[in-house]
Amino acid sequence: MFPLEKPFHFDYGPDRRTTNKLLLIYIRFELSSSAHGCKGHSWSVQNPIFCNSGEEISTPKGLSQKTRWHFSRGNVYALTGGLAPLMPSIDVSHLKKRPQSDNEKITWQWLPFANSARSDNLLLSHWVRVVNGVPPTGDYSFAKYNKSVNIVKYTGEEYEKHLIDPVASFAYDSSFTTSISWLLTVPVWTKEETDQLFALCEQFDLRFIVIADRFPSARTVEELKKRYYTVSKTIAVARAPSSGDVSGNPLSKESFHVSQEIERKRALSMVLSQTKQQERKDAEVLTEAKRISESRMVAKGAEEAQLPLTSSVGPESTERASVPDESVSPASDPRLPALTIAAPTSAADSASIPASLRMLRVFLRTNVLDQMVQAASSSAGLRTIKRVDQTLQDLGVYFLSLNCDKINLKPKVPTKAVCGEHLELRKEILTLLNLQKQLQNKEAEGSSHHDSSYHETPSTPKHSHRGGDQDRTFVPDSVSFGGERVGKRDQKRKAPGRFSEAPPSPPQSKRARKLKVSDG
Amino acid sequence: MYGGGEYDATSPFKSLIRAFYASLNFSFDGVSLVCPVDEVSAIVIDLGSHTCKAGYAGEDAPKAVFPSVVGSIDQMEVDDPIKSERDPGSVPDPKNVVRPFDSDKIKAKRKLYVGSQALGYRRDNMEDGVVVDWDIVDSIWDHAFRERLLIDPKEHPMLLAEPSSNTPQQRERTAELMFEKYKVPALFLAKNAVLTSFASGRATSLVVDSGGGYTTVAPVHDGYVLQKAVATSPIGGEILTECLMKSLESKSITIKPRYSFKRKEIRPGEFQTVDLDFPNTTESYKLYAQRVIASDIKESVCRAPDTPFDESAYANIPMTPYELPDGQTIEIGADRFKIPDILFNPSLVQTIPGMESFAESAHSIRGLPQMVIESINKCDVDIRRELFSSILLAGGTASMQQLKERLEKDLLEESPQAARVKVLASGNATERRFRLDF
Repeated sequence: MFPLEKPFHFDYGPDRRTTNKLLLIYIRFELSSSAHGCKGHSWSVQNPIFCNSGEEISTPKGLSQKTRWHFSRGNVYALTGGLAPLMPSIDVSHLKKRPQSDNEKITWQWLPFANSARSDNLLLSHWVRVVNGVPPTGDYSFAKYNKSVNIVKYTGEEYEKHLIDPVASFAYDSSFTTSISWLLTVPVWTKEETDQLFALCEQFDLRFIVIADRFPSARTVEELKKRYYTVSKTIAVARAPSSGDVSGNPLSKESFHVSQEIERKRALSMVLSQTKQQERKDAEVLTEAKRISESRMVAKGAEEAQLPLTSSVGPESTERASVPDESVSPASDPRLPALTIAAPTSAADSASIPASLRMLRVFLRTNVLDQMVQAASSSAGLRTIKRVDQTLQDLGVYFLSLNCDKINLKPKVPTKAVCGEHLELRKEILTLLNLQKQLQNKEAEGSSHHDSSYHETPSTPKHSHRGGDQDRTFVPDSVSFGGERVGKRDQKRKAPGRFSEAPPSPPQSKRARKLKVSDG
Repeated sequence: MYGGGEYDATSPFKSLIRAFYASLNFSFDGVSLVCPVDEVSAIVIDLGSHTCKAGYAGEDAPKAVFPSVVGSIDQMEVDDPIKSERDPGSVPDPKNVVRPFDSDKIKAKRKLYVGSQALGYRRDNMEDGVVVDWDIVDSIWDHAFRERLLIDPKEHPMLLAEPSSNTPQQRERTAELMFEKYKVPALFLAKNAVLTSFASGRATSLVVDSGGGYTTVAPVHDGYVLQKAVATSPIGGEILTECLMKSLESKSITIKPRYSFKRKEIRPGEFQTVDLDFPNTTESYKLYAQRVIASDIKESVCRAPDTPFDESAYANIPMTPYELPDGQTIEIGADRFKIPDILFNPSLVQTIPGMESFAESAHSIRGLPQMVIESINKCDVDIRRELFSSILLAGGTASMQQLKERLEKDLLEESPQAARVKVLASGNATERRFRLDF
């Protein structure tokens, strides 16, 4: 596995200078490749230069004296960066070294120490690193953590003068009404209580929650805070020689808003008191309600699909009428605000919105339009869809795309209104085609009674759709088909025949039909 | 010299504890101190209701762990029927306290034996007895210092762990005893809950300490226990052991204490038990010996059930075998789950035959999740969220399997939506058992 099993061959040059040059070049080469291959590890592989440099390699007789690089196996490995050593030999000297200086004598001694954080003179002992017999000086290293808050200390006279708690102290409360109701229930602060409060504040470094816990009488945290801050402010103001000194002091600048604190805590406790069970129940009720309204929507949709194609306009109007009902009934339920988002979609769209879309609150209309179109034309077959598209094209309702080589049948700016109109148009086209087909069928039936001839022109004249129904140049020959043919045609093609300008000739009827088939 | 409890702002251990808390930010102090905690070779003692733990400060686990039970042999002929005081505080439930005393002490001519080794050896006439609580405590401490830790208390500052609801009188008594008898240089009385909290690296947490004699739920805020919100319940490991014993008795399985039999090897590998009779054995010692075995059963077999215990549901679960010291193998089935569920549903105690005396007082006892919620709700609103998200489990009973998961599950049901509930238990079972920051 060791790459340099074979001895390395270095071919000496023709003369000494060349050899030296080559040797130098090779050394540089080797070092660079070995450096590349073994970063950080000590290269435990012997440098090939050194192992064989002294060896005399005689070139075989007859070979030219030119220098030749022998690319033995070892060399190739070196060229490619070398193999990493299997066991990286960690040089101990690379490990983290203590900054050791040899001329110091270090001992560890058990020595007593003084702690400046203590008020008594307790001397405990600990292990100390002594350097050259000199113990370290300085305070106990943890004494600096013993920080405390500066609590104002008032004297008796100051208390009498400023700090006697009046029953009504509206000056410090922002809200008038809450302060009245609150203050009426709060007992007055006595001197003893105030003293106790301040002693505890000193002891516990203004941790009011702990102070409230340890306070002998039952006072809330807000009361304690209020008393403390008002006293501090009063003292600070009273002691200041002029008002200017004190204005920068945060104690005197702001006052403690008790009512705000009480409100805040009340709100927080309300938030925290709603347990998971209640949340779950709420969620359950919401999902149940959603499900019910969903099923109502689906029921309406199903009803509409069942209505016969004869009155395709009718269902649209009924669905328009039903949708306002839908939107009213969920909206009337105050507990279901989420559903009103689903309900007040435009009337035309509501039936065409698939159920999945109702779940989405936010969607891109471009993506959705496809779905809507598909949903709208789901009742019609593929041919019908193509006919509708063709009709759209004929009507000139096309939207050029940017590169103009493709006619895009979808609106370029799919806003809600535009999409709505587009879908309306498609629906109307579909309706039109359906009606035409039905009319055709009826006339075929009607004419089949009169005319039993099979040789009549079965062709259906093409009809221009432009301008709506009044341009119908309906050729009654189309109904000269036999009854069964009509039926067959119906079954074969759901779409009605295509009406074009040129009246087809009778013998071309079949061809025309084929054309129609291919068209449709 | 007198460093009192938390009320002394300049006690050395307050700064020590502050230093510990400050050291959590890993500020290395140059070359000299790699570990920020200073070594003053303090001794920590936690005298619990079931076991006493003592060791050096700074270590992972206590050096000495032994039951807080003392056996006493009355030297006097008349044995005084002194009832044992059950103090739900720092003092252990002294059943028998016997320890080798100087016989020229007139106050109490009793021999007190401390430690599982001494207690394992049956002696005649060991009985329930308590002279004064403090004698017992004293003997336990003495045993801890001289026989287990082998130290001289004069040289070491002491850290004593006391229960979260300790009275000032007891605290004074402790300090008096320590300073006058043992002449310690410095003393700090810390609450159990605070130490547990610091051991997990937090200054604010809710500590659920479920030990031998009782269960306490105590909120710690910024290193101080909020006394008004502490909730206790008498259900602890010992009650559970008691229930297990009664339950086994009702199934007519007798647990023979270890001293009452001898196993003779008849053939290689086969043993025959021979009953020994010691007429002078007192009842309490017998009970104690039986309890030792029952608690071993409880620790090895019992598991907290995932759902509240239901008799019918657990009627058909497979039984686990357990071999008693006398060779008898017993099968334990539903009891495996029923017993731990008492922690969550104390009214189950009533269903165990033989525990009716306890059951009367069981109405007012709440289960563990209810205690937690109650305790948190008594605290100020601002810290409730933080308390919910750092609930620490400590104590011997809390190291029962699946207890953490069950508690978390129960709490998730009852806790508010806005709070994130997280129950933490030290991963290391040993650390959890001996909860303190040694």
